[in-house]
Amino acid sequence: MKYLRQVATIAVKDVRAELRTKEAINASLAFALMILLLFSYTFNPAQEMMREVSGGLLWIVFAFAGTLTLNRSFARELPNDCLDALIAAPIPGSALFLGKCFASFVLVLAVELVSLPVFGIFYNVHWTAQLPALFGVLLLGTWALTVIGTIFSALTVNIKLREVMLPMLTYPILMPALMAAMRLTTLLVTGQPIADDDMAWLKMLIGFDVIFTAVSLALVETVLVG
Amino acid sequence: MSAVAVEGVWKYYGDYPALRDISLEAAEGTCLALIGRNGAGKTTLLRAIAGFSTAQRGKIRICGKEPREAETRSRLGFIGHGISVYDELSALENLTLFGKLYGLADPKKSANEWLERTGLERVRNGLVREFSRGMRQRLAVARAFLHEPSVMLLDEPFTALDDRAIAVLQRLLREALAAGKTIVMSTHQLKEALELASHVALLNRGQLAFHGARTQEMVDDPGYVYARYGEGA
Amino acid sequence: MLASLFDASVWTALIAAAVAALASILFLRTRHFLYDSLALSATETGLVLIAGGIVAGAISGHAGAGLWWTWDARVTTALVGFLLYAPYLMLRRAIEEPTRRAASAAVVSIFAIFDLPVIALAVNWWLARRAAPVSVDAGWMILPLALLGAGFTWIRLRQEQRRRARDAERRTAQEI
Repeated sequence: MKYLRQVATIAVKDVRAELRTKEAINASLAFALMILLLFSYTFNPAQEMMREVSGGLLWIVFAFAGTLTLNRSFARELPNDCLDALIAAPIPGSALFLGKCFASFVLVLAVELVSLPVFGIFYNVHWTAQLPALFGVLLLGTWALTVIGTIFSALTVNIKLREVMLPMLTYPILMPALMAAMRLTTLLVTGQPIADDDMAWLKMLIGFDVIFTAVSLALVETVLVG
Repeated sequence: MSAVAVEGVWKYYGDYPALRDISLEAAEGTCLALIGRNGAGKTTLLRAIAGFSTAQRGKIRICGKEPREAETRSRLGFIGHGISVYDELSALENLTLFGKLYGLADPKKSANEWLERTGLERVRNGLVREFSRGMRQRLAVARAFLHEPSVMLLDEPFTALDDRAIAVLQRLLREALAAGKTIVMSTHQLKEALELASHVALLNRGQLAFHGARTQEMVDDPGYVYARYGEGA
Repeated sequence: MLASLFDASVWTALIAAAVAALASILFLRTRHFLYDSLALSATETGLVLIAGGIVAGAISGHAGAGLWWTWDARVTTALVGFLLYAPYLMLRRAIEEPTRRAASAAVVSIFAIFDLPVIALAVNWWLARRAAPVSVDAGWMILPLALLGAGFTWIRLRQEQRRRARDAERRTAQEI
């Protein structure tokens, strides 16, 4: 119980601080909308091609816009040396990590939930046909993005070229999860259910989430204290 | 069992020894002033004692336990170079946050108490980014003392404080010592530190050049220890 | 012949990745810098081998199908593997303090080794719909390549140790 309260304290603090300044969330949202707009220039929304590319486009938007938020996750602790105070406090490193994961998860999800209707409008896609399954995939994919992004945010917090190193580390590792999420989202956004063939992708996404949450929790103390 | 025990500690950055075979102790209720030139290793030693980094060789014990254990962290207070409070939160929100992280019974009440003790009660709902420098530093002190730590580690705490903040800090430190708490403080401000200190340790290029009780000569002439035991001796 | 060169280089690079991951774990346990140097040397060797393999695979594909990139499942997996480990070297360059650099790099290496099987699986599912599945036999070339790889690693390891000794001497000299 105490552990969960500690996780919640960190998560609430991060979300509150972000909502006060809105630095990351504004940039993230603007970036997402801009990509959606730019791509609509190349794809004629009426074409059948949307059935093939919608998942890919959406997750490129989510991953790139999401990185802006994830970069802030540990970087927000740098001014005033707040990270020292958090490490010195008697909370486990894993609680600090999970608290930040949940906060980033909520913030990234918020941008995604705004992007989806915009996507539907710009590209004339009726995306609500498989809503529950779509949200499921959204949550799983966003968790993958969040976990990897947060652990590498902690890893790169003190190094030079942090804004470059975070995407460079995150995207290759995230590739299988992104591929799975893209494939599943393409199906669900265009109204098709997940067929047996594609169930394997769902299992991969879940497996990815489980494995890398475990690896992150195992290594978090090393990342924080060195 | 002393409050802070450092035994044979070596700390390397890669292959370079920043701390060499440091052994010192601080008994409960004493105040150890850690002095030395820039780059001597004072900050490195303090951060190793606080558990921010691990020494490659040797042992560090706080009240008999390792620095990173949860119980130790609960009774450790640290003031580093930064104020370690959030600009975008209010003074009260900051202290309540740390109160919760330290598992205090009533975080909000403790937060309000310490805002009064550091003279910040009138700005409790103001955001830290609008505070003056002196106010920020008093809040940092409040944060460090909030959970009533029994061991305080302070890294150059008097540097760049305004007069009011210095007075508040000195008062709180004196009260803490009177209550039996232990203080280890690194400093360039020899005068303020030596007034409070019961013991002195001099670091020179990562090595302990002197460790003993504070004498009257030191109070009379703060440069005494450097002259006698430091380089150029 | 190029195809079997590709196979062999992929397998050798996999061995290199495993060695790097093991060395990283050992570093985090013992904090002995020998393991950090070993992880670095093995990763560099693996990257060189896989890069060579990708080129061999691309040329082999061109000889067969006339295209420079055939989206063959295994060559594509090799490319993703390369992209996975290249940031390891970039990260090392971005951190100056040796202990921090070694610990951070070790973490990345461990993440990467867990990701390799998942990547292989994902890319194969994705591309197996397009190209016919190919055998995973390493072929006889693996022996000379593995020896070559071990040799590179050993040379690089010695180089790293000498560099560390020089750095230590330089720091000591600066103090005097």
